[in-house]
Amino acid sequence: MGLREIENLSGSGVLTTRLDAVLRWGRRNSLWPLPYGTACCAIEFMAVVASPFDLSRFGAEVVRFSPRQSDLLIVSGTIVHKQAVILRRIYAQMAEPKWVIAMGACASAGAFYDNYCTLQGIDHVIPVDIYIPGCPPRPEAVLHAVTELQRRIDAGVPPRSQRTEGSA
Amino acid sequence: MSSPSLDRFRSRLAGAVREEPNPFGDTVFRVEPSGLRDVLRSLRDEHGFDLLLDVTAVDRLELPDSKPRFDVVYILRPSVGSERVRVQCRPPDEDLALETVSDLWKSANWAEREVYDQYGVRFRNHPNLKRILNHKDFVGHPLRKDYDIKKQQWLSEPDDLMDEMRKLRGGAEEEESESVLLNIGPSHPAMHGALRALVDLEGETVRHTVPEIGYLHRGFEKSAEKGTYTHVIPFTDRLNYCSSVMNNIGYCRTIEKMLGIEPTARAQTIRVVLLELGRIMDHLVCVAANLVDVGALTNYWYLFNERERIYDVIEALCGARLTHCYVRIGGLAHDLHAGFEEGVEGILRELPKALGDVERLVARNRIFLDRVVGVGAISAEEAISHGFTGPCLRACGVPNDLRKDEPYYGYDGYDWNVIVGTRGDAYDRIWVRMEEMRESMRIVAQAMKKMPGGPVNVDDKRVSLPPKTEVYGNIEALMNHFMIIMEGIKPPAGECYGSIEAANGELGFFVVSDGTGKPYKVKVRPPCFYVFSAFPRLTEGGMIQDMIATLGSLNIIAGELDR
Amino acid sequence: MNGYAPLILVVALALITPAMLLVVSNFLGARRTERTKGEPYECGIPQPAPPRRAIPVKYYLVAVLFLLFDVEAVFLYPWAVVYRRLGLFGFVEMAVFLAMLVAGLVYVWKRGALEWD
Repeated sequence: MGLREIENLSGSGVLTTRLDAVLRWGRRNSLWPLPYGTACCAIEFMAVVASPFDLSRFGAEVVRFSPRQSDLLIVSGTIVHKQAVILRRIYAQMAEPKWVIAMGACASAGAFYDNYCTLQGIDHVIPVDIYIPGCPPRPEAVLHAVTELQRRIDAGVPPRSQRTEGSA
Repeated sequence: MSSPSLDRFRSRLAGAVREEPNPFGDTVFRVEPSGLRDVLRSLRDEHGFDLLLDVTAVDRLELPDSKPRFDVVYILRPSVGSERVRVQCRPPDEDLALETVSDLWKSANWAEREVYDQYGVRFRNHPNLKRILNHKDFVGHPLRKDYDIKKQQWLSEPDDLMDEMRKLRGGAEEEESESVLLNIGPSHPAMHGALRALVDLEGETVRHTVPEIGYLHRGFEKSAEKGTYTHVIPFTDRLNYCSSVMNNIGYCRTIEKMLGIEPTARAQTIRVVLLELGRIMDHLVCVAANLVDVGALTNYWYLFNERERIYDVIEALCGARLTHCYVRIGGLAHDLHAGFEEGVEGILRELPKALGDVERLVARNRIFLDRVVGVGAISAEEAISHGFTGPCLRACGVPNDLRKDEPYYGYDGYDWNVIVGTRGDAYDRIWVRMEEMRESMRIVAQAMKKMPGGPVNVDDKRVSLPPKTEVYGNIEALMNHFMIIMEGIKPPAGECYGSIEAANGELGFFVVSDGTGKPYKVKVRPPCFYVFSAFPRLTEGGMIQDMIATLGSLNIIAGELDR
Repeated sequence: MNGYAPLILVVALALITPAMLLVVSNFLGARRTERTKGEPYECGIPQPAPPRRAIPVKYYLVAVLFLLFDVEAVFLYPWAVVYRRLGLFGFVEMAVFLAMLVAGLVYVWKRGALEWD
C-alpha cells in the first residue's frame, strides 16, 4: 500500500504516523452514509437525519445514494433474497475504505421473519462492521453506532471489508 | 348486508351461482368456473360493483371440505357506498386455471399474478402471468400448505425484465431501437428502497415503464399462519410502518367482527384518536418525502419535527416510536398514561404552524407548481378500474371514504369533511393529504373532548386477559390466562373480511379461521399495491422527472405493497 | 504585478486541487478489485443495455443556446468593470451588442426552440 512506501522512503515511522493520524481524522469525521433503507428502520434513519437527532453533527450529513460517492453503507430494513443480489452489487461498487452498519434486527439477523424469503442477516452476503439491535433501534442507538465506528477508525481498526479473505 | 341492487342480483340467481351463508354476516356467492366472468361482469355493469378490491385464494388442504383444493376469492365493492360482496370459485384440481378478469378490472392484473405466484392457480388469457412477489428463480408456491415455511431459495442474478419490455416495445430489437433503456431502483433515493422501474426513454420522455416489486416481500401471510391471532399484531405493525397503529386496529377490528365483539366506548374513542394521529403521521412522511423528491428540502425538517412530537406522545403511551403494537383483540394493551392529553394538545397546537410554514413555502411557488400540477393525472374511471382507494382516489374527485360510507367507532358523530380533489394529478394528491391532516386534527380535538371513562378491554373471557391479581389468586383466571396465551384466541371457523380507512385507502383483512387458535389464513388487502399497479399508466408519456414527482405523491410503502 | 496576484492564486488552486484529489488519494487509498466494482452503476442491477451512440438533437439545441447566452454574460463582466472609463461610447457599443443577441433570443423564442417537446 501507499503508506508502506512512504514509510520506507522516510526511514522512520514518524511521518507515516502523522499521516496516518490525519487520514484517520479525515475519514472518521467525514463518513458519507449510503442509506440502504428498505423498511421501517429507514423511517427511523430519516428521523436520525432530521433535526432533533441530527446525524450531521458527527460529520455524516451528506447522504449519498450512490455507492461511488459514499463510504458508509447503512443497511436499514429487512433484506429478502430478491434484494440480497442488489445489496451485494451495491456493496461491491463502493470504493475502499468502506464500512457497513447493519441497522435493526432484520439486517442483523432476520428478526422474526424466519421464513422462505428473508435473508437471516446481511452478514450472509456482505461483511458487517457494526450491528445495531432494535426493531426499530432508537435514533440514539444509531448515533451510538456511528460514534463507535468513529472510535474504531481512530483506533486504527481496519474495516471488515479489508479483514476478510477473498473478494469480499 | 342487503341493498336493492343486491336483492335484484339475488332474484336472478340461476343454477351456476348460489349464495353461501356466512357466519359473520358477509355476502358471499359461490360460482362455477364456467359462469365466473358473467357473474362478475354483471355485478360490475348492472349492480354498480365497479371496484375490485382484491383477488386471493384459500388452500383448503387442511380444512374439512378440501376437494377441489383451491378456492379463489374476489372481493368487490361499489366506488361510492360500502357494501361488500365476495364471489368465490373453486377451479378443478386437474386443470388449476380460471379465466382472467383483468380486462374487466385493471386491478385484477396484479392481483391474479399474486395468486399465481403464491398458490399456483393460473389465469387463462392473462396479459402477463409472471411472478410478482417472489423472485424469478423461485420454485414452488409458498402459500400452499405443503410448502415448508423455512425452505429458503436464493437468487443469483436479478431479473432483467426484458421479456416484458420487448412486448411493450412491440418486439423491436434493442440495437434497432432509437430509445435508451434505463433501470431506476431498487437502490435509488426516489424509489424508497424497494421499487424498481425499467424505463424506455426517448430523450427525457418515458415511452414505456416496467415496474417490479417484491423487494420487501417478507412473508407476512405465511408467518401469520405460524402463531396465534395475537402474534399477528406485531407483524401488522410492519405493514404500513409509517402509521403502524392503523394496521393494528384494522386487523383487530376484523377479528373482533368474527368474535362478535364491540370494543368499549373508551377503547373506541382512543382508537379514533390513534387512527387520526396515525393518519397525520403517514401524511407527514408522504408530503415530506414527496417535497424532497421535487427539491423542496426545508419542508422535510419542518414536517419531521411534528412527527417527532407525535412520536413523543406515542412513545410515552406504548413504549415504541414507530412500531406500536398497542392494540389488542378486544381493546387495547393498557389505558392511556397521565400526560396523554397534554401531549395531544401540544400536537394540535404546533402542527398547524408547521403546515402553515410548508404552505407558505410551496403553495404559490412557481417551481413547485410547474413540477406537480398536471403531472401523473388519472381520471376517476381509470382510477376505480385500477382499484384505487384513499387519498389517491379522492384526488380524482370521488368522495370515497370508509369513515363516511361505513362509519365505525363513532366517526359519524364527529364534525369533519371528506377532502376531494379535481384533477387527479400529483398536486391534488399532495393537497388532499395536507387538508386531510387538518380534518384529522379536528377529529382528534373532538374525540379528546368527549373521551368517556370506563375500561379499555371488553369483559369477555374469550379475548381479554384477566387482571393479574385474579390470575395469581384463583384457578379459573389462571386457566383462562393460560389458554388465551398458549392456545390463542379462537374465532369461530369461517371466512371474514373486515377493513378500515387507513392513511392510504381501504386496508382490508381477509381472515380464514379453522376454529383453532392459529389463523388459517390472513390476507392483507394493501391499498398501495393497487395504486402502484397504475404506475405505468401514470408515467408513460411524461418526462422522467415527472415520474419522480408522481411516485412521491402515491405514497407507496413497501411494507404494505410487498407484505 | 499586484493586479495579477489573485489571478495566479486562482489558477494555482484550480490546478493543485484536482491534482491532489487524484494523485494523493490514488497513492494513499486502500485498493481491492472486484469484477462488479468496475461495472457501471445502475441502481444495483446489471446494465440493461449498452449506451447508445446517437443522442436526441434536442440536447444539442439546448446546449448551444445556453453556450451563446452564457458567453454573452461573460462579455458583460469585463465591460461592467471598465464602463465608466468607456463612457457613452462603451454604453452604446454594448447596447448594440445586446440588441443583436436579444433579437436572436426573440427569434428562438418565437420559433419554439425553448419548448422541450
